[in-house]
Amino acid sequence: MKKFNLKLLYLISIQLFVGYSVMAATCKQTVPDSALVKKGTLVMSTNPTLPPLQFVDSTGKLKGMRITLGKEVAKRLCLKPEYISIEFSAMIPGLQAGRWDLINTGIFWNTKRAAMMNMIPYESAAISISVKKGNPLGISKQEDLAGKAVGVEIGGLEEKKLKEIDKNLRAKGLTPINIRVFDNFALAYQALRAGQTDASVAIDATAAEYVKRGEFDRAISGMFPMPVALAMKNDILAKTVLEAMNDMMEDGFYQELMDEYGLLPNSSPFIIRGS
Amino acid sequence: MGIKWDWSGFYEYLFNGFLLQGAVTTLWLTIASILGGLVMGCLIAMLRLAPVYWLSSFAKGYIWIFRGTPLLVQLIIIYTGLPQLGIKLSVVESALTGLILNEAAYLAEIIRGGILGVSTGQTYAGRALGLNSFQLMVYIVFPQATRIIIPALGNSVNGLLKTTSITSVISMEELLRSTQLLIQEKFLVLELFTVAAMYYLLMTSIWDMAQRRIEAKFSKPYNKV
Repeated sequence: MKKFNLKLLYLISIQLFVGYSVMAATCKQTVPDSALVKKGTLVMSTNPTLPPLQFVDSTGKLKGMRITLGKEVAKRLCLKPEYISIEFSAMIPGLQAGRWDLINTGIFWNTKRAAMMNMIPYESAAISISVKKGNPLGISKQEDLAGKAVGVEIGGLEEKKLKEIDKNLRAKGLTPINIRVFDNFALAYQALRAGQTDASVAIDATAAEYVKRGEFDRAISGMFPMPVALAMKNDILAKTVLEAMNDMMEDGFYQELMDEYGLLPNSSPFIIRGS
Repeated sequence: MGIKWDWSGFYEYLFNGFLLQGAVTTLWLTIASILGGLVMGCLIAMLRLAPVYWLSSFAKGYIWIFRGTPLLVQLIIIYTGLPQLGIKLSVVESALTGLILNEAAYLAEIIRGGILGVSTGQTYAGRALGLNSFQLMVYIVFPQATRIIIPALGNSVNGLLKTTSITSVISMEELLRSTQLLIQEKFLVLELFTVAAMYYLLMTSIWDMAQRRIEAKFSKPYNKV
């Protein structure tokens, strides 16, 4: 009896070993370790304060569309996905300094950034103005923000666009916006919740998610639609990630993911725009 | 690997008006907080030493809460929690309130230490001269306690200069937040943080000199043979 058990165990372990090696054989890492920050690992940075695209759930796990996308990319490259949660302002300096391989935080594409990094745009995102439920101040257009306190996360394009709106208002001779810059969106929305600010600026998906949670309304949406990208420093890695992304588009994984979150997908194949 | 450092960017930001404005905010935040903290700290220290049980318990509880919780949390509660109770303070008011309440707890303990450091013989002598409790405090205990308090107080001011940066969490535009905002412009991270560090160092150095003068002044009576 005992002998039989041992034999069984032996068989199982062989099975496991063969199974593992078969998996390892089908999944061959194509990116050389020299192109990575950490051997066999795809280290990605994200700022998980943007539900439902990137956030931390009640068990402390990272969740959201971008997290799923990043894991799928790593899987297809036969790499172990690893996420670093960090404030947005640290993203680009961290990539330059070799702290992570890929910025996966919904970074907007622009020419200035594209000059510094390899960027693969994969989604089109626009900006919304969130207000308290019922829109008590009756905000319906950019001009209505004149003289209001508006919260935003530091360092993103949302902040830049808000400053642009402010500039336009000033040019028209209207009262400037009282721009309040916070470390992250969670705090910006908390300030709105407390009545410390009159509005918050965020991307459409986030603003829509906050509407779903029942506390806020979207006063304005669809402003300044812009391409959102994955950003990498290493050229070899960028090429392989591009291949993986195009595979995802071909086999339908990408379309399905974008549909799940109600996002605007790319229709033509992905390309690297920049660096 | 070459060092990536942009000297022209560094010099450009060294005398940047926006950064200077942030430094000025940091400076007045520190001064206002230390003054407010001193007044409140004195009060709390007196309560703590009061022979009335509930007064000293109140002071103990105050110190326990404000020294035992992070300033960051206190600031977020003051800024976004109090409005739900109908108390809506502006960013500047919230920052000042948080810093003063927090600093008062630390200073109260420093002041209490100073008062306890004055030998009881001094109190007896004062009493023998017929001084009442108030006179005793003002003429005998406080002048001697001040000498003991000042070195520790200097530490507090130095620390506070840098602690003010935490108020950026409620969108206060002090030196650190100004630095972070400027970084977005050209991504000169190291250059800008170095400039900010130099500003902080300059301010703490000036305070160091001032503190040495104050210490010398209060030690004068002890220098004579």
